[in-house]
Amino acid sequence: MRLPMFEYAEAKSAAEACGMLADAGPDAALIAGGTDLLVRMKRGLERPARVVSIRRLRGGLPAVARDGARLALHPLATMAELAADPLLEHACGNVAAGARAVGSPLVRNLATLGGNLASARPCADTAPPLLSWDARVRLQSASGEHSVPLDDFFTGPGASALRRDELLTAVEIELPAGSSGSAFLKLGQRAALEIAIASAAVRLTLDRPGGTILAARVALGSVAPVPLRARAAEDLLLGRVPNEDLIREAGEAAAREARPIDDLRASAAYRREMVAVLVRRALTAALERAGGGR
Amino acid sequence: MKRLIRLRVNGEPVETAVPANRTLLELLRDDLGLTGAKEGCGEGDCGACTVLLDGLPVSSCLVLALQAEGREVLTVEGLAQDGQLDLLQQAFVEEGGVQCGFCTPGMLLAAKSLLDAKPNPSEAEIRAAISGNLCRCTGYQKIVESVRRAADLRRAARRGP
Repeated sequence: MRLPMFEYAEAKSAAEACGMLADAGPDAALIAGGTDLLVRMKRGLERPARVVSIRRLRGGLPAVARDGARLALHPLATMAELAADPLLEHACGNVAAGARAVGSPLVRNLATLGGNLASARPCADTAPPLLSWDARVRLQSASGEHSVPLDDFFTGPGASALRRDELLTAVEIELPAGSSGSAFLKLGQRAALEIAIASAAVRLTLDRPGGTILAARVALGSVAPVPLRARAAEDLLLGRVPNEDLIREAGEAAAREARPIDDLRASAAYRREMVAVLVRRALTAALERAGGGR
Repeated sequence: MKRLIRLRVNGEPVETAVPANRTLLELLRDDLGLTGAKEGCGEGDCGACTVLLDGLPVSSCLVLALQAEGREVLTVEGLAQDGQLDLLQQAFVEEGGVQCGFCTPGMLLAAKSLLDAKPNPSEAEIRAAISGNLCRCTGYQKIVESVRRAADLRRAARRGP
């Protein structure tokens, strides 16, 4: 399959990339790993006149950096790097699990975190885990920089707060005090190279091991136009000492909040039922990791 | 408009002019005549175009040739040395890991990357490493056994005769 012709430019800094995007107007596209853009171009879904590569913007920066309670994930980190990052595994295990669930090893060696978020697919495997940690994304353009909660970033299938002339320059997490545990579960028809039928990422923060829930996050993939926070489920968990009944009720609440559709992968009804199961199992695993439970 | 790029392919420096829309796979097959990497799906789903880019297996149909500038590419043609099959290739021959052969170059490179990082992988690790490479002939069992055998051959070779 041939790619249509386009002009190619490589940016040497974030500022230069922003300038190139501003100059090129609406016909420009950014390329990092290329695993989304090039497929869309081959299928004729996108036909940018100019492609701006940001592959050189990583410099020597690590995939994940920690400064006190602040965790910074580099948007040009590949899924393979995040999947194997010990810092990320330790602090936010479900984000590493989400990265491990993307595509295949061949895709994970190319695909970047920034691309997974900026493509804004409801099935993006890193989105629900990052939502569960209240992650923020930094967006930069020629006219300045601002930070947006990831929860406000996704606006529809393939649509986000990222403007055509903006660059996603950082993904940041403020780690909460207390004892946290997280989990990510993805349901597909096969274990590899799969787009989620439904996925769930949860995070529980307890005041102390075995204690009450200080914060609960339940985020869902592939069951709404955007990666979705299940707020009623979260509210149900808040301030409680978790037990099996509570966890089951939270799963059922999340299922009621899902807004799934019928498509070639699964029916809406099946997806909704699976949300209850995935959330229940994910909460059980996260609780154990947070030092809670019986 | 073409642009001049430099990269290393199978250890040799390559300097060539490519248009922006040339993929790494097209550069290898059409410009350099290295037809080991195959075009299967062209969308990163099948793994037939797998090459190692700076040591890591990638779908070369989803890499622009321009993005491979300054990098190290290994294709299946770079495995055999001085007319001698690489131990991985030897193991695939001995264990019957090759049937039609279309997936074989990709399987070999995905397996090489695994064994370079993990000399003694478990069966689960082998299956995970080749999970992006589709084979429609073997049912994978003989490929997994081939990689297992290659790991044994490599360790034996390292111990010496």
